[in-house]
Amino acid sequence: MTHLAQTLLLGLLIGGVYALMASGLTLIFGVMNVINVAQGALLILAALFTFELWTRTGMDPLVAIVVTTPLMFALGWVIYRLFVARVRNAPISMTVLLTFALAITLEGVMGVVWKNVFRSVTPGYFTRSFHVAGLFIPQAQLYGCGVALLMLGLLYVLLTKTWSGRAIRAASENAQGARLVGVNVGGVAALTFAVGVATTGAGGSILSVLYSFFPASHYLWISRLLGIIVLGGMGSLPGAFIAALMLGVAEAMTQTYISTRWATVVPYIVILVVLLIRPQGLMGAKLREDVAA
Amino acid sequence: MRLPRRGVGRIVLGLVAAALALFPLTGSATAYRETVLIQIFLLAVMAGGWNIISGYTGYVSLGQSAFLGIGAYTVGILSLHVAVSPLLLAPLGGIAAALIAIILGAVIMRTRGHSFVIITIAFLFLMQALALNLPGITGGSNGITLPLPHWSNDTQQLPFYYSLLALMAISIVLSWWIRRSKFGTGLIAIREDEDKAAAIGVRTSVYKIVSFTASAVLVGVAGGVYAYFLTFIDPRGMFDILVSVQIVLAALLGGRGTLWGPVVGAFIILPLSEATNASSQGTHFVLFGGLLMAVVLFLPRGLVPTLNALWARRGGPVPRRPATVVAEPVPDAPLEDVQKHDERPLLELDGLVKRFGGVTAVDDCTFEVRRGSITGLIGPNGSGKTTIFNLVSGMARADSGRVHLAGERIDRMVPWERAYLGMGRTFQITRLFRQMTVFENVVAPLHGFSWRQLGADAVSGPEAQRAEELLDFVGMAEFASHRAEHLSFGQQKLVELAQILMLEPKLILLDEPAGGINPTAIDRMTELIMRLNRQGVTFLIVEHNMPMVLGLCDPVMVLAEGRCIAQGHPQEIQANPAVLDAYLGRGWGGATERLGV
Repeated sequence: MTHLAQTLLLGLLIGGVYALMASGLTLIFGVMNVINVAQGALLILAALFTFELWTRTGMDPLVAIVVTTPLMFALGWVIYRLFVARVRNAPISMTVLLTFALAITLEGVMGVVWKNVFRSVTPGYFTRSFHVAGLFIPQAQLYGCGVALLMLGLLYVLLTKTWSGRAIRAASENAQGARLVGVNVGGVAALTFAVGVATTGAGGSILSVLYSFFPASHYLWISRLLGIIVLGGMGSLPGAFIAALMLGVAEAMTQTYISTRWATVVPYIVILVVLLIRPQGLMGAKLREDVAA
Repeated sequence: MRLPRRGVGRIVLGLVAAALALFPLTGSATAYRETVLIQIFLLAVMAGGWNIISGYTGYVSLGQSAFLGIGAYTVGILSLHVAVSPLLLAPLGGIAAALIAIILGAVIMRTRGHSFVIITIAFLFLMQALALNLPGITGGSNGITLPLPHWSNDTQQLPFYYSLLALMAISIVLSWWIRRSKFGTGLIAIREDEDKAAAIGVRTSVYKIVSFTASAVLVGVAGGVYAYFLTFIDPRGMFDILVSVQIVLAALLGGRGTLWGPVVGAFIILPLSEATNASSQGTHFVLFGGLLMAVVLFLPRGLVPTLNALWARRGGPVPRRPATVVAEPVPDAPLEDVQKHDERPLLELDGLVKRFGGVTAVDDCTFEVRRGSITGLIGPNGSGKTTIFNLVSGMARADSGRVHLAGERIDRMVPWERAYLGMGRTFQITRLFRQMTVFENVVAPLHGFSWRQLGADAVSGPEAQRAEELLDFVGMAEFASHRAEHLSFGQQKLVELAQILMLEPKLILLDEPAGGINPTAIDRMTELIMRLNRQGVTFLIVEHNMPMVLGLCDPVMVLAEGRCIAQGHPQEIQANPAVLDAYLGRGWGGATERLGV
């Protein structure tokens, strides 16, 4: 029983972190109808930035979020303006090829700059844990999850309490309608992309403590994130949150009761099964297609 | 200018084919050069396969290299257990790839563009993980070592060279054959507009699965040959995302959706890859990722179409297909006995309900369309007219309620089955296949489905003749060779009408036939509708142009808030206070002139 509770707890803790990472991907899809395949590579890039900050200045990786988040926001803005904006009117197949190409390029750049070696950030609390009621809670996981939830809270406030956030939500629900009431949908797209990429800043910083990583790890991460947003319903933030917790638990269970090796397969299975049985995911909307098109 | 150009093309093709076939026998052949060519052929086969699913059908796959691995592992595993030359086992690799493509096809059958991309990524990595995690079968990360080639040293790599050259040739022939078959036209139709394709009788689910299978099978065979060539396979090498990048890049650079693009691309990309092989893996990724970005941004159509366009410009305008003149063309629409009494109505809607989230777009809607009538369907914006069309034509499923066509229940049928039963529909915003010519648009509809039909020529003689008659009938014959996207909106409406007439429909649903077109075109449209109706075609028409509706339609159904609130002769409708309330809000009853009459 304790064993099960322990597994659930660890699954939920990591699921909270996944939720933050997936929020950017699903937000970008919801507003722009673009799957940013480069989101995983950007996550690893942010983790590498955190690693640099930590080794050079000794800055705590979770504090580094205040640096990586604005950095990734700026990078997201630049990527949108330089590349994504140019294919906004192209068929969706071209936009996905573009972000895929971006992911490959980023992987290459990271390989050249940081070499293909595994790294991880190991602050003092890295190996410590709390013991509560027979359960052990690794401090890194707890802090990571806490910070992730905090960032998600900030994102929620941004989306619901600010004018820009409401514009983003309006554009994601109905771009035409948003345009009609005076939302500059093009500008909103740039902002959304930048905010979506900014979530990889915090996500990457947390990742750097919880996992070891190297440039090609991004495939694992993008698969995980895609699994989450497919399960949650593409474009749905609440869906992504619930799906992230579910995936976290599913991976933890697989790890405990089957093997670590098979845990990495969980996202792929999730993707195939969800798209076969319920293509719209848990909370995805089914829209009138002739109008949406 | 066309004939000489084609002649030049054939000569070049013949020379290249001869050069490739004879190359190993010449003095300039070295083992290294042969190896490079073997890899080029392999890439061309893979890019050609990708082109079928992603170029023709428009479903982008980022995991096409998985089929290489499946073929390679099938042959690798078999070679450990049976004492047959792996080269002879290679076709089994193709069969394995095809079977897995069919299974995956069950997933893609229900999904659209985005989901498919995600599936293909997941699929590639799932295959890699399986190869790693099932060491009992695949040798895990240690991989599989195949037996060494059983032939003498003098033969060297020739069997591999010629096997893959042959596979490349087969792949080109397969692509060529698909493009000129009904199957290929259906694939292009799916790429251009999948819902529309289904509405004109393309059985999209089967087309998509067959297309995916066709894109996988030769890659599987090639994977089997390649495994034997390498004599060692492991999960990372065989399920490599970088191979997928090369496939996509080759096909895209050459020109997706073209016959020669993938081959041309392979001959450019692979040598480039070889030349930069010595550099670190990082630079390799930067090079290919950057190149792919550049192609997407600056050369999205690819080399072959771009060069073709340049050549065509140099050679002057392409001669236009002469308009055929057919004296008094009368389409022989199915002439049913127009017995309007004691027959079941052609179309019956019974208690239809459709909700979108909290909005009930169609709310317990019941009405019928008499055989031989021109029934009007009017109502304010948002009253559910187009949604009813979607429910009747099968583009959306009703939450409850029933639809019968000629006594047969159709509300659970997929769109193409409804088309086969004799239903055609047009769209408010016309949905022609924009990249196809007017003629190709009109011959695209299908009356039914059979496996033999897939392989039939894209256009049979009688079909071509019928299409010309129909284009003449709607007055668009002289535009037959124009691309649909170059037509005016009114012309597109006329072509779309001709297109669905190819289905020989009993019932035609017209969604705003007069919307957004000029008065002359409206008159023409009205006349066409009346002529077709005299031949026995029944119409259900959604229209906002009140003079047209009231002059043409009898009876007229009035829809408000998803419900049929009134029906009757046009005069009755005009006088009905409930109708005026629905249009103009309460208290306007009596203001007949506001209806524009």
